[in-house]
Amino acid sequence: MPKQGDRSARAARRARNRLRLGDGATLVLLVLLLFPFVWLVQMSFRPRTDILGYELAFTPTLAHYRALWTGAFPGSFVNSMVSSTASTVLALLIGVPAAYSLSRAGFRSSRRIALWILATRMAPPIAFTIPFFLAYRFLGLSDTLIGLILVYLTFNLALVIWMMKPYFDSVPRELEEAAWIDGCGIWSAFRRVTLPLSAPGLAATAVICFILSWNDFFFALILTRTQASTAPVAIVNFIQYTGWEWGRIAAAGTLVMLPVVAFSILVRNYLVRGLAAGGVKE
Amino acid sequence: MSVGFRRTLRRRDAFRLGLAPALIVLAAITIAPAAFLVLTSLTPLNLTMPDTAWDFSAPLGNYLDLLDDPRFTRSVWVQVKLSVATVLVQLLLGLGIALLLNADTPIRRFARTGLLIPMVLPPIVVGIVWRIMYAVDISPFHRLMDWIGLPVGSLITSPDAALTAIVIAESWEWFPFTMLMVLAALQMVPAAPVEAARIDGANEWQMFRYVVFPYIQQTLLVAGIFRLIDSIKAFPLIFVLTDGGPGDVTEVTNYYAWRQTFQFSLWGYGSAIATLMVIGIFVLSWAINKLTSPTDAEAG
Repeated sequence: MPKQGDRSARAARRARNRLRLGDGATLVLLVLLLFPFVWLVQMSFRPRTDILGYELAFTPTLAHYRALWTGAFPGSFVNSMVSSTASTVLALLIGVPAAYSLSRAGFRSSRRIALWILATRMAPPIAFTIPFFLAYRFLGLSDTLIGLILVYLTFNLALVIWMMKPYFDSVPRELEEAAWIDGCGIWSAFRRVTLPLSAPGLAATAVICFILSWNDFFFALILTRTQASTAPVAIVNFIQYTGWEWGRIAAAGTLVMLPVVAFSILVRNYLVRGLAAGGVKE
Repeated sequence: MSVGFRRTLRRRDAFRLGLAPALIVLAAITIAPAAFLVLTSLTPLNLTMPDTAWDFSAPLGNYLDLLDDPRFTRSVWVQVKLSVATVLVQLLLGLGIALLLNADTPIRRFARTGLLIPMVLPPIVVGIVWRIMYAVDISPFHRLMDWIGLPVGSLITSPDAALTAIVIAESWEWFPFTMLMVLAALQMVPAAPVEAARIDGANEWQMFRYVVFPYIQQTLLVAGIFRLIDSIKAFPLIFVLTDGGPGDVTEVTNYYAWRQTFQFSLWGYGSAIATLMVIGIFVLSWAINKLTSPTDAEAG
């Protein structure tokens, strides 16, 4: 059998080499694809006199970040934080009971409701901004955080229902029924039994809602001006006033992306389900 | 028996109560604006001329105007080019990278997380990243080309290259989406047929084409349609990189609708464009629903 052993050893070596080759290719690809992103981050730390430099060795400076601190930027960051958080909480408060009801009640209309929610996810933002802008002018909600929170519900609410329903589907009904027999009402059984069991899904849904609201540019550009403008809009305003001051723009971009990049890495396993809500079969 | 029946009814009421707030809010923020949008599209509303509001004397005027507005037709054409190109690039790039990353080594696990970054960046930051890459005087890419001796002119200000520049940036932003979806599908490919094909001596290409591909083609289709629909919403990248220019070579329909409405104050006209976009997208959504919902046989 020496020949056989020889051949399998060769096959194993070949497999190992393939693996190493693949690792090498992965590394090259990673560097190439993330290069534009890394370039932005390094620019934000480069001294103003050397902003276009490309030597790897330079003394990093926080000057650009400090310069941002004095302008309108911190306020816009707070606006982003408040509107994204509030819209996420509101969407969960309204959407979670709805998802649970859809999961348990077996309404005859639930397929039609599902289609409606999917359509909401697909509709182009311009179709919402035109009527919202006109209505907000009339209602005095232009350039307010409340207006922004409401408009973010157009995508967050649909997302919460789409993401949470499958979670509730997967929680066994027997557990709730046991709680009902013990005298719990439907909603207290839901709060005490089902909700804790779906906590990971709930957390992932919340994070994805937050990311989508935080990343919004189009709604905030149109529906806010100065008072309620969010961080992405503040960057654009800043560019329009002072031109392309690269260091400071890079610093602002880095700050704005920091929370979402951190959050996304936390919920990376749920991202596909959230972003393709309705399109992925579980 | 009747106690239990009454209890079931009470339960149904409780569920209706749980669903009601969401449906009321959804109706208020989606159906009401949609109706309002369609109504506006039937008027010549211009906010600088107050008497144009609620003027339904020529309800189809905007739509008839759109028929011979060459700029609108061009914007649809730009949209088609942008959508087809970005969806194809994203599918190929996402598929290729997913196949490469579908092995369990530390480097590839790390890459799977690292490569999702472009997709989650705020779109405005993606715009800034590529604005830096495309700025001739500061871009490392342009400096590299100069150094090699093949200087390249500015891409975003060239009528021939601007759309390609947008396609590159947009594909970079969204290839992680197809990559993640294909990776998830690859995990579902059963080991047995792969092993059997290996023993039968299938080469790499045959293995992919005849064994793996049938398991992931549905996912590719769904990912492609999702990206197709989202590509119709393109805005921040174009806003930061080209502002629809030079001329109107990168002005997609969404951008044109925005310009008509919010820059030229032609609200009725912009609404008509937006209404047509909604109709187009709904037709595509309907297709998704047909393709992804289980057939009756499966569901039964």
